[in-house]
Amino acid sequence: MNRSLPERAAALAYRALLRIYPGSFRADFARDMEETFVDRYREARSSGARAVFAFLSAAVADAVTNGLRERAHPHSFGYGMFHWMDVRYAARLLRRSPVFTLLTVVTLAGGLGLSIFTFSFLYTAMLKPLPLPAGDRIVAVQQSTPGAPFMFDVMDVAAMRPAITTLTEVGAFADADVVIGDERHRKVLAAKLAEPNIFSVTRTKPILGRAFTSEDQAVGAERVIVLSYWAWTTVFGADSTIVGRTTPLNGTFTRVIGVMPEGYGFPVAAEAWMPLGTDLLATQTPGVQFVSLYARLANDATPAQARAQLTPLLDRARRQHPPATNAPLQPASVDVLSFPMAQIGEQAPLVLAVLNLLATLILLLACINVTNLLLARANERARETAVRLALGASRGRLIVQSMWENGFICLLGGALATAIAGWGLDAINHWLQMNLPRNLAFWWVWHLDRTALLSACGFVTVTIAVLGAVVSARVVNTEFNAVLRDGTSRGGSRREGRIARALVITQVAAVTVLMFFGVMSSVVAYRVAHVDVGYDTRRLLAAALEPPRDRYPTREARAAFYERASDRLTRSASVGGVLLLAHLADPADREASARPGVASPRAYVAGVQGNLSTVGVAIRMGRAFDAGDNANGSPVAIVSEALAREHWPARSPIGERIRLAADSGITESRIVVGVASDVLMGNPFERRTALAVYVPLRQTDAPFSGVLFRHQADVASAQGDLYATLAEIDPRLLPPSVQPYEEILEKTALIARSVTKLFAMCFGFALLLAVSGTYGLMARSIGQRTREIGIRRALGATEGGLIRLLLGQGGRQLGVGVAIALPVMIAVGVGFATQFPVGYTVPIVSALGVGAAIVGVVLLATWIPTRRVLLISPREAIWRDRV
Amino acid sequence: MTALRPIEFEILLTLAQGECHGYAIIRETEARSDGTLRLETGTLYRALRRLVAEGYAKPTSRHAADPEGHDDERRRYYAITPLGKRTAALEAARLARLVAAARSARLIPKPERP
Repeated sequence: MNRSLPERAAALAYRALLRIYPGSFRADFARDMEETFVDRYREARSSGARAVFAFLSAAVADAVTNGLRERAHPHSFGYGMFHWMDVRYAARLLRRSPVFTLLTVVTLAGGLGLSIFTFSFLYTAMLKPLPLPAGDRIVAVQQSTPGAPFMFDVMDVAAMRPAITTLTEVGAFADADVVIGDERHRKVLAAKLAEPNIFSVTRTKPILGRAFTSEDQAVGAERVIVLSYWAWTTVFGADSTIVGRTTPLNGTFTRVIGVMPEGYGFPVAAEAWMPLGTDLLATQTPGVQFVSLYARLANDATPAQARAQLTPLLDRARRQHPPATNAPLQPASVDVLSFPMAQIGEQAPLVLAVLNLLATLILLLACINVTNLLLARANERARETAVRLALGASRGRLIVQSMWENGFICLLGGALATAIAGWGLDAINHWLQMNLPRNLAFWWVWHLDRTALLSACGFVTVTIAVLGAVVSARVVNTEFNAVLRDGTSRGGSRREGRIARALVITQVAAVTVLMFFGVMSSVVAYRVAHVDVGYDTRRLLAAALEPPRDRYPTREARAAFYERASDRLTRSASVGGVLLLAHLADPADREASARPGVASPRAYVAGVQGNLSTVGVAIRMGRAFDAGDNANGSPVAIVSEALAREHWPARSPIGERIRLAADSGITESRIVVGVASDVLMGNPFERRTALAVYVPLRQTDAPFSGVLFRHQADVASAQGDLYATLAEIDPRLLPPSVQPYEEILEKTALIARSVTKLFAMCFGFALLLAVSGTYGLMARSIGQRTREIGIRRALGATEGGLIRLLLGQGGRQLGVGVAIALPVMIAVGVGFATQFPVGYTVPIVSALGVGAAIVGVVLLATWIPTRRVLLISPREAIWRDRV
Repeated sequence: MTALRPIEFEILLTLAQGECHGYAIIRETEARSDGTLRLETGTLYRALRRLVAEGYAKPTSRHAADPEGHDDERRRYYAITPLGKRTAALEAARLARLVAAARSARLIPKPERP
């Protein structure tokens, strides 16, 4: 069977790991073991990421324990090689040179700590099963169809449900923010409308009162609510008599029937739960009611099997009813994911891989530095090793002895690293709970748990193996005849020179990638933290309105709905200004052109109802829309100043015609009646443009619209007024989620600033490692050539010539390192340029800057030891190291 | 001849049914134990090395047919030797005696008659 790329990579790593076994064992079994490993890896991959992680962890532990045991076999290397004397000797060596010990332990602890922290943080964020009984079997079911929401149409759910066998306890839920309390004291809760099995699927019972029953969701049943622990304590002061009482909820009295345990927020961060009515679930009109799904995997079923079963079921369900829109039906597919993976989104595996790769690169840098220190120390003891070998000590015995020293350093570094990672996890948990309360998924609780400790053990084991292999190679390659005959402590063999050069190249490549990534991340985070949305966000609230198609089937009915909502909300005492802004087209799919047939820049097109000045958009020229701009009036538009400059440079656009062309081929022509001030449109993480065309909402058809309104007093009152408005227009409408703009921007900026700081700290540490490590490697490499340089000078080489020679060699290693890093940098740069609004200039400038910094570091690290060697007289240099 | 370890007995039980490669031994052993026994690759091959060294099992050059398509040139198959069969049988008899003794001592229930 042909191996896939991941299988080949895993097999390669396993082959390397098999070197722990003695050579004779490997000769007999390595090939078979690798084949068996690949078969089992393939089997684990078919069961998902957790199975792969468990399998790989077990495989590493198995190879290490059995490999070492095999080596301890009577006929093999290592038997009888444990001596307390070696342990004491290693401890004494470390005690005798405290600076060396401290330096290696701290360097290693930094690299290991960062790796353990990153892995544990991401594991809890994305991979850890929900902290509920059998939480690993609970899954989120999502639709992933291009252009469609992640949620399912309830009609599709009803059609699919009876045929689902790979999932059990399937339930639907939808978001529904609620305003709790009366007019004097109101609080907004992020509630979920859910089916009655929501608590039984998580095997969690309320701490007070009862869970839902099927009677609660029946049409005409009393309105009931179950509170989260947070809502119970903050809104009701942990009143133990709350169960059974009624409280105003969006203005309607609702009975509190239960309180859930502390820390429970299933499905993500719910603060209250209400039953999802059977009437909503039985909706017979497509495109009206959307829900998300939760379920448990049936016995032995895997997410892949569930996905394979649900995708054709969804496809069939969608074909059973007429499409909700005229758009062609896109192929449907279903994702069955754990809730943590669904929460992070489809980028999750990429984020996980990239961040772990970065942490591993930093660990690699730390390992290179420690290796260099250990090799330098092994060189100092080359003569001692040679004497021992000459006196008959086996190389195995010497390796075991040197391994003890490595082992001590790694264990001390590992313990310190675990403490650092534990502190970091506690600190980040505290910070997130303080700064982003109510926004965190309920499973996001970070601390030093079993996984963090296991990952620490894993990282330390790998580090011991890597460092041990390098130092063992040094012992194995000691030619005692040469060392004793020459009387030098140099181990300056050709092979060792190659190792030193390889270390420098690896270090240069790793640090180049790290620094480039660090600079790019910092630029993006800085831009997000200092984003200028272009309008006044103070006291601005945003919500989405979506008139249900069954009750508002025509364009006129929807327009009337928007108009009533706008008028009624404008009259509310707690609301300062209202603007309905329906986002009609992205620049990607709508083109605004003044001259038909001429390629024009694409613009955002938005339908508006209400006052543009609500968001700080001023009319610079012409007029705003008025009551005459309705469906019967002539089609009009207001353009942004940027668009006016683009199309009608140096003249007034008022009275000109603008053609709006959608990719579907539909075009419309409108007369420009006004010019509005520029506002940047779009998500701050994406490309934004000030090219905008506003059209009256009454003259267009918008299936949904955003409503932006400014509150006068407090958020909850304004939100309550919105809900009252909507309830007055249509009592069956679900209350939409309302978000304060400032809060959203503040949180985004806070996260971005913190990410910048975190990256700065990590990359600062990486840079420190790189500078000190490169200097150490170069200093050792050039120091080993002191005699050679002395001889060259004695034979007439000039100082300038020698400096050029050594700098040239440093430059070659630099060149190879950067060449290795270049493809990764290009990939990272293209990734950033396509994902974030940084363009291609920032990556190119950053790459050049990082390149210049690396060149500077390497050349300086070469020049300083070169100068030092040249200060020694040739005569002294030739006799240096003679014993 | 040395005493069989439980894992070696499990492997011989599997090989007694026919030649197998490493992955098949792992799957068969795990299936027989209803997943309670997890056999890691290193443990398997160290046990195989001992079984081969003791003459209880031997690698074969013949490749038995494998319905799962895992049969290929790179894999080595192992077969039980006559000595291995005798040793496994002796071990099974010893275990049967122990089970009978455990039943007499009422540590486990007696089997129901069909």
